[in-house]
Amino acid sequence: MTRKRKLRLNAVSPGTEAVIHVILAAFSLCCIIPFIFVLIIAFSSEESIRAIGYSFTPLSWSTEAFRYAFDKLPQIWRSYFNSILITVVGTVLSTLMCAMYSYVLYRPDFRFRKFFNFFSFFTMIFGGGLVPTYIVCTQLLGLQENYPALIVPLLVNPFNIIVMRAFFKSSVPLELIEAATIDGSGEYNTLFRIVAPIAKPGVATIALLNALAFWNEWYLSLLYIKRNKVLQPLQALLMELQNNVQYLNQMAGQLGAAAIAEAAKMPSQSLRMVLVVLIVVPIACAYPFFQRYIVAGLAVGSVKG
Amino acid sequence: MEKKQVHSRRLGSSWLERNKKTLVLLSMAAPVAIWLLLLRYLPMGGIVLAFKDYKVNPRNPSFISNLIHSKWVGLKNFAFLFKTNDAWIMFRNTICYNVVFIVLGVIIPVALAIMMNEVTKKYVAKTYQTLMFFPYFLSWVVVSYFLNAFLDAQYGMLPAAQRAAGEAVTSWYTTKGPWPFIIVFANLWKNVGYTTVLYLAAITGIDATLYEAAAIDGATKWEQVRYVTLPHLRTIISILFIMNVGKIFNADFGLFYNVPMQNGALFSVTQVIDTYVYRAFMVTGDISLSSAAGLLQNVLGFICILGANTIVKKIDEDSSLF
Amino acid sequence: MKKLLSVLLVCVMLVGVCSAGAFAAGGELEPVTLRIWFHGSTVTPDASAKVMEEVNKYLADKINVTLEPIWGTWGDFDQATTTALAGGDDVDIYFTCNWSANEYNKYARDGYWVKLDDMLDEYAPELKETIPQGIWDCAITNGYDGMGIYGVPALKDTATQNCWDVNGTLLAELGYDVDAVCEAGLDYYSDEFEEMLQAAKDAKGADFYPLLIEPVVLERMVTHSSIITGDLNNANMLSYYYDAEHPSNDTGATIVSKYESEEFAKFAARTYEFSQKGFISPSCQSTATSNDYRTATQASAEYLFGTQSYAFGCELDYSKARGIDVRMVPETAAYMDCTSGQGAMMAVSVTSKNPERALMFLNLLNTDPVLMTMMNYGLEGFTYTTNDDGTITFIDEARATYSPWTNGMGNIRILPPTDAQGADFWERFSAYYDAAETLPYGGFIFDASEVETEGAALANVFAEYAFNLMSGAVDPDEALPEFQAKLKEAGIDELVAAAQSQMEAYLAG
Repeated sequence: MTRKRKLRLNAVSPGTEAVIHVILAAFSLCCIIPFIFVLIIAFSSEESIRAIGYSFTPLSWSTEAFRYAFDKLPQIWRSYFNSILITVVGTVLSTLMCAMYSYVLYRPDFRFRKFFNFFSFFTMIFGGGLVPTYIVCTQLLGLQENYPALIVPLLVNPFNIIVMRAFFKSSVPLELIEAATIDGSGEYNTLFRIVAPIAKPGVATIALLNALAFWNEWYLSLLYIKRNKVLQPLQALLMELQNNVQYLNQMAGQLGAAAIAEAAKMPSQSLRMVLVVLIVVPIACAYPFFQRYIVAGLAVGSVKG
Repeated sequence: MEKKQVHSRRLGSSWLERNKKTLVLLSMAAPVAIWLLLLRYLPMGGIVLAFKDYKVNPRNPSFISNLIHSKWVGLKNFAFLFKTNDAWIMFRNTICYNVVFIVLGVIIPVALAIMMNEVTKKYVAKTYQTLMFFPYFLSWVVVSYFLNAFLDAQYGMLPAAQRAAGEAVTSWYTTKGPWPFIIVFANLWKNVGYTTVLYLAAITGIDATLYEAAAIDGATKWEQVRYVTLPHLRTIISILFIMNVGKIFNADFGLFYNVPMQNGALFSVTQVIDTYVYRAFMVTGDISLSSAAGLLQNVLGFICILGANTIVKKIDEDSSLF
Repeated sequence: MKKLLSVLLVCVMLVGVCSAGAFAAGGELEPVTLRIWFHGSTVTPDASAKVMEEVNKYLADKINVTLEPIWGTWGDFDQATTTALAGGDDVDIYFTCNWSANEYNKYARDGYWVKLDDMLDEYAPELKETIPQGIWDCAITNGYDGMGIYGVPALKDTATQNCWDVNGTLLAELGYDVDAVCEAGLDYYSDEFEEMLQAAKDAKGADFYPLLIEPVVLERMVTHSSIITGDLNNANMLSYYYDAEHPSNDTGATIVSKYESEEFAKFAARTYEFSQKGFISPSCQSTATSNDYRTATQASAEYLFGTQSYAFGCELDYSKARGIDVRMVPETAAYMDCTSGQGAMMAVSVTSKNPERALMFLNLLNTDPVLMTMMNYGLEGFTYTTNDDGTITFIDEARATYSPWTNGMGNIRILPPTDAQGADFWERFSAYYDAAETLPYGGFIFDASEVETEGAALANVFAEYAFNLMSGAVDPDEALPEFQAKLKEAGIDELVAAAQSQMEAYLAG
């Protein structure tokens, strides 16, 4: 009884909350409808798509595209495995590296703080461009036709470093670090045992952003995975299909009869949507895992703990 | 200021010990620093490409030898950007859309994050948040299919409804009027979930006792937002603002290329620097041209970012980026 | 240059068979790994591994080469090869042509390809014999090391012919004498043409669009203009108007700005008229949807007239696939020019450590039916079975996993015919293409690099107007003058002048 009253103590009035619900629900609906649309196409029959195009109300339904994807395309399973492997390894490494670097930038007593801050920030604006980066990756670092080629080029994102530093700044008091140092805690210990747990929402957010970046990545595969296509992640497989279709559309005038013959080889339109579904579902399922930490302190009106 | 304090406090310790701490911190920065050095700074030598007519030296076809071997052409590679009077349209579009994205991209996600924070049932808030992230998973190509299901002249739902009502059918992909709104909406729709998470994480980091204290002092909810939440979000808002200003000359290629279905009739409201450069590249196949365009975007962005940083610094020293 | 193609058939047959013995001394050669980059492939890693195992066994005996193919796809080829080429990747042979991003002439000029002239005699004598001189002439371009051959052209459908794709079944339903109509030919500007479209529209209802167009093809077909080789890639600015009945007739060496010509204005007005009358589907008027729509509509035979850049024998395939009587009515005679001559090529990269062996491989690929069949069609028992009459039948499921772009690989005339094509397909195929007349000045190759700045700006103006005008989506009375004004501003005159002066230099010697 008292707890319930306390819960409402600093909450908005029920009327206001109702308005909030309406706004949030409306926007959420906007966000989910296109995905439902994709689902509907994935289950639409090919005849229906041919006759009336993409539609919320197809003429007939079919699970053919799903069955085809699972039975006939062994690469889908391999690509699934690749995507998961790359995302897990990449997220752990990149979040770790980001946390360490941001922690150093956050320490006001670090002598080269300003230098390292600018060192990472500058790369957000200036880059050498595609070809020089490609050359460094392939010729100097040997990032070609292997898993590291899909992970290493994405490991650092200066944007995340800056955001992470901001999270540290706003949630971790400096006194805490000083106290830990006086207690004889090493820097690594302080970061992983004291700072990171306090800044958990921030770390989880960055981890989520990293996971998304790795999961959505396809361009690295286009550049670095050419002979050994078993390493292709799922998103690259999908983009390859979409790019093929788009290219044939654009080149139809130049390729003539070849474009028609080639277009006939492309997977059906519902199969393309099946791939979209296969890509979205796992990452959407992984989302609540990160969310646990991000939303942990939500509804501050209720008492913590 | 703080730096001095810490130093003075540690004055008693030996030089070696202080040096050790710096070394340990350096070791923490090392992985990222090495990465940046190799994958970002080393390739920067390639910026020269923007001023060269890149040709291969068949006697020694390595990139560096090619680069040295290629003719210096000064600013010629930049000329294609300013060739026609239409050039200003793509610069105008790029900048105007970005300004709108920056402004709405702060207001809407912050508002949503605050609202979400006020939802008493946690699982409902979590559901909203999960749903809002969905657009981020869908590529622009898929989004363009979705939009096309509404607007397609032959099969689209809106033209079908117009036909059913006996009205004249709008040819959406050749009518400019609605497109600025469609573009802005599509961009927000796709990115709001992403930014909201950032703000939400920042809000979550705020000490709950601050709100309680404010509530006990009789502050209304609105006042709590005004005096507790927003000041705490100041840093992250400024950071995102400054960083977005730095990208004001860059546009999201997929949004401007795929969503309007590449229709030329809409160019006056959809052509941006990135789509222009892409079309030029597809015809000329010249990497020097894209390098030049990229460099120009970066230099202009850098100038803007310095400006934005200075402004933020004047308002609030702590929130500036450097 | 005329009629040089005529020796072709004999060459293919003889040389193809003889070549097997030429490099039998493979064991004496150092073992070498070659990487070759194809375009437009649909090949899964498993299928590739399976086929390459056999290919490499075969190659080891012949030229002691291990092949590592890169199966470029339609969508990734441009981006991936331009990056790899600029980055100096360790690839020996690249697919190239005059419409991909690694455009043959430009990349030859910029020094990416090895000049082959001197090497051909020594390392690829059979290849040199097999490809007719007329096609070799098209490969001669002004490259880094001067005029010469920088790539091996594919011996494929080397001529262009634009046809009306007529739905004979529907035409008969409408009460027309199909044979008579097809015999008389179709004229885009005639009243009869319009009447037939109207009749189909009236009979099938408002949702039926009788004119199924590929706008770019429609324009070239109706105005009888050819692509100037080297013109802006995929954004053609220039036209050369030829004699539709006898393409080899000399109609003058004038290159004109396509969109400022009377022919184009007339064409655009007529197309807009047809569009307004509801003959052209709105789906054909969007680059993003047109190809999907066309494929679907052809499959369901929901059209009366279509545009088709003819491929030999395609009417039979189409009739079978669509379940109707498909007729091909030529709008122009078949002609040969360097645009088709450079339609698919293989070039040796300057980064190759073994250019000689790369050329030997190309020699073998283009002259040895065993190798070409393995590379292109896969393995017997895996992707196809052989019939008694020498034709092959594809095993569809496996073929779907190993399906390189047939025409992109090289000399397809040494492939076995498929059962659908019939045993004498390649004889008929060669006879058809070899009979094509050569366009006058068809060997001219425009070098647009001196007007690159203008080209970049023009490409964007093109994207803004050309497709909409060619598909009848916008009113030419308003859009065409705007388009022309913007072309002027972007420097169309400089482009045309450059082309014309190069043409004069070409004629002078």
